[in-house]
Amino acid sequence: MTYDVVVIGGGPAGLAAAVSAKKAGADVLLLEREGSLGGILKQCIHDGFGLMRFKKKLSGPEYAERFIEEVKELQIPVGLWTFVTKIKKNPEGFSVWMVSREGVSELQTRTLVLATGCRERTARQVSIHGTRPAGIYTAGTAQHFTNLQGEMPGKRCVILGSGDIGLIMARRLKLEGADVLGVYEVKPEPSGLTRNMVQCLDDFQIPLYLSETVTRVFGEKRLEGVEICKVDEQMQPVAGTEQRIDCDTLILSVGLIPENEIAENLQVHIDPKTKGPVCDSSAMTSIPGVFSCGNAFHVNDLVDYVSESGELAGASAARYAKIQSVGVAQIPAEAEGEAAYVVPQCVRQEDVRGKVTFYFRCKRTLGRSELVVKTGSRVIQKKTFSAVRPPEMERIIVDLLKTEEIREPIVFELREVGA
Amino acid sequence: MDCKKLEKRIQKIYGNHIHVEEKEGNVVLTGTMNSWEDIVNACAICVDKKRRYHVVNDLKLEGTELPKMRLPKIQDQALDRRRPDVLIIGGGISGASIARELMKWKLEVLLVEKESDVAMHASGRNDGEVHPGIDLGKGTLKQQYVIRGNRMYGRICRELDVPFKRCGQYVGMMHWGELLPACLYAWQRKHICGVSDTRVISAKALRKREPHLNKDIKFAIYNSSAGSVCPYGLTIAYAENAVHNGAEVALDTAVLSMEIEKGQIKSVLTNRGRIYPKLVINAAGTFAEDVAKMAGDRFYSIHPRRGTNAILDKKVGRLMGGIASWKTLKKTAEHTKGGGIVHTAHDNLLVGPDAIETYEKENFATEKTSIEHNFQKQRGTVKELSEQDIITYFTGVRAPTFEEDFVIEQGRKTKNLIHCAGIQSPGLTTAPAVAMDVARMAAAMLASRQPVAENENYNPRRRGIPRLRELPLEKRNEMIRKNPEYGVIVCRCEEISKGEIIDALNSPLPVYTVDGVKKRVRPGMGRCQGGFCMPLVTKIISEVTGMPPEEITKSGEDSYILFGKTKAGDVDDI
Repeated sequence: MTYDVVVIGGGPAGLAAAVSAKKAGADVLLLEREGSLGGILKQCIHDGFGLMRFKKKLSGPEYAERFIEEVKELQIPVGLWTFVTKIKKNPEGFSVWMVSREGVSELQTRTLVLATGCRERTARQVSIHGTRPAGIYTAGTAQHFTNLQGEMPGKRCVILGSGDIGLIMARRLKLEGADVLGVYEVKPEPSGLTRNMVQCLDDFQIPLYLSETVTRVFGEKRLEGVEICKVDEQMQPVAGTEQRIDCDTLILSVGLIPENEIAENLQVHIDPKTKGPVCDSSAMTSIPGVFSCGNAFHVNDLVDYVSESGELAGASAARYAKIQSVGVAQIPAEAEGEAAYVVPQCVRQEDVRGKVTFYFRCKRTLGRSELVVKTGSRVIQKKTFSAVRPPEMERIIVDLLKTEEIREPIVFELREVGA
Repeated sequence: MDCKKLEKRIQKIYGNHIHVEEKEGNVVLTGTMNSWEDIVNACAICVDKKRRYHVVNDLKLEGTELPKMRLPKIQDQALDRRRPDVLIIGGGISGASIARELMKWKLEVLLVEKESDVAMHASGRNDGEVHPGIDLGKGTLKQQYVIRGNRMYGRICRELDVPFKRCGQYVGMMHWGELLPACLYAWQRKHICGVSDTRVISAKALRKREPHLNKDIKFAIYNSSAGSVCPYGLTIAYAENAVHNGAEVALDTAVLSMEIEKGQIKSVLTNRGRIYPKLVINAAGTFAEDVAKMAGDRFYSIHPRRGTNAILDKKVGRLMGGIASWKTLKKTAEHTKGGGIVHTAHDNLLVGPDAIETYEKENFATEKTSIEHNFQKQRGTVKELSEQDIITYFTGVRAPTFEEDFVIEQGRKTKNLIHCAGIQSPGLTTAPAVAMDVARMAAAMLASRQPVAENENYNPRRRGIPRLRELPLEKRNEMIRKNPEYGVIVCRCEEISKGEIIDALNSPLPVYTVDGVKKRVRPGMGRCQGGFCMPLVTKIISEVTGMPPEEITKSGEDSYILFGKTKAGDVDDI
């Protein structure tokens, strides 16, 4: 048989995509490389998930469970311990090869939804030098040990990077009785959500050091210490400010990178800014029939947005599987001024007559700011924000119906407007 | 040799407190200097490549005590009173390959390695190039062995089931003015030195093979015999094959001292007991000089030289299919060899290495300046090279003598000893040939005191761990049906299954550490650097060996990964 939609990845994006595609009447298969659904949510035992979608503070597993239940109710077939090894385009869609405990198998599908998530940047990728001892972990690895295996990865910890997982792990390790000596952030401002700064650091008296970074590690066997350095405005270490801190563990929360090896092998066009595929307003990539969502598309701050993006990709894939049509002209969406990027990167012609949800991030922390959405000289919409911060993604629904014909790019211009 | 003349020269530069004298046919430098660089330079000045003496460095470094060899913590008597025919000191490519070649005879062979795995120093920390020998002049041992070694690679890697590809080496030149000298050089290498595959190829031919090479390269010297091999993979394979044929490899075992009697090594003291070998082979890498000293047979010196390589993501492997670098005939201030870009046996790219003199034989810490230097230099080879694609980096320490040549000979004063020292680049290439010669030499030396029979059960073939990802679909399917663990992917970046990891833990020379598994089957070698799979690998090691997770280490002794249970205690996997 040929599936309408094969979803790769059983985390929040993939779960939402599978559910929405099924609801749209498609034959769906959900593939997950691990032994259970939920993706990274499985190890996120803290709360704060689902505030927007369910108006409730859920833990990661609780949030995932709501979707997993739906997958079960809708009787969506799921392949667990199933790893996709190769995908090839064919005239009807795609051939997908995978391995599982049962062996190597091949299936056919009309569309693909890539919900492969993201990975964490590592110590060497942020130019930390010195020896190679045990005790240097990304926050996600430390979280896996602590929350899934019940094992303590460290006793005396330094956290580099104030990304959300770093902040969550600072609190988690403190709760488990570890000394958390501090969170060091190379940028002049924190990288995590404000609520995590308060709930994870302030409430536990964990100090945050801004414009400081780890430049070197010491120790031959287990980590024995790290070298901390102040950085200048270009975020380069300032000579003479080196300071050694003794610790046995370094936890890194220094950025997430969308995982797009499958997309790249399919020759999907990747946006250098987001490191994810260039997508249109139906979540379709530059290869017709291939859709992208969640953190594989671009790194999100809240799981609620990830689910939303999965739903769009799933529904669009189901529709595409039926009609197999590609909108001809597409209108690009572009970020300008203080906006760092905007997604989707283009709007399908058929969506120009409706509402489209865009997400953007700013380049730096701003006070009162105004976002002007325009095309050519015509202003489509305006929105003011009391403040914007790079860690916090912003969402805006743009009503394109009100505007007449759009031929020129839709520009999202963000400016600080002062108090 | 005229030591008086040498001393005069040295004293003119470095002062009258430095002395150069002849001892037992070699040149010995004594005195105190205040920089390591000066020590290395002074010794290098005393080298005379035409005469066959060695330079021995007895110079002291002012105010600095040179670091002592790191020793394993374990103390027991596991090897006490053992009487092997041959004791090999050092589990690098030299020691491992010699052990394997020795198994062609009915001999009791014991290899001791002070680290918790083989290939932990230079053999695990180099770029894996199988050199054509183009950069070596005639008359050295290195040159003689590189040609033989290179030719043996196809067969050796087939026998040992190690991936090897002859991907070719290109040395690009930027100036047309260098064409004639380059052609003469190539001709000389080809016809005089025996590097028979040497050719000069045009920019057009070059582009056809390597389209991403810098457009400024006008022509290149090309050697099709150059190749890429996984250096630690080959060392492990050699060691496993040796073990399979009856050799014993003792890890975490360091040589501490030797008892010498009438020009013979009578016993060798280790942290695992006293061993009474009939013959000792010194393959101790940067510590070969120290071992020679223990044996009362020190007639050469090692001056360690660090080199750092960056490993790039497989995604950019397409930038270079072979091995390439660029050179100019103009004299530059830089005295490093220059390095290059290597497409590895696993399809990553390596950028480097640099070359920095050091007295720290075991300082493998990386420095930012090395990476910057390598990239700056190699952007001349491929302009698109980006530091953004680095997934990790590593430093190794080479073990050259001041003559910059190998020392492969019987001990001069201590007779039941063979030195296999000064093995630096192209030591990986030369290993198969050197090992054959050293093994033959050892067998002949032993034959003078006892009958040495051929081992009719010797099996040169090693069956490596299957690489599921590389198998044809049907074969892979068949393997998974036989063992479903081959279908459970643990490492997503390198596509490594749980079955392969279990195989590594059940291999002939198992090493129950995360790095041991990583070096054997590659989980954690990819772009996430073990972020996803390391906790899973730790768990599998625990399951297979029964060791509690907090006892599992990254790379042996004390490199613990975990500190025991969390407060919640033993939670089941979700």
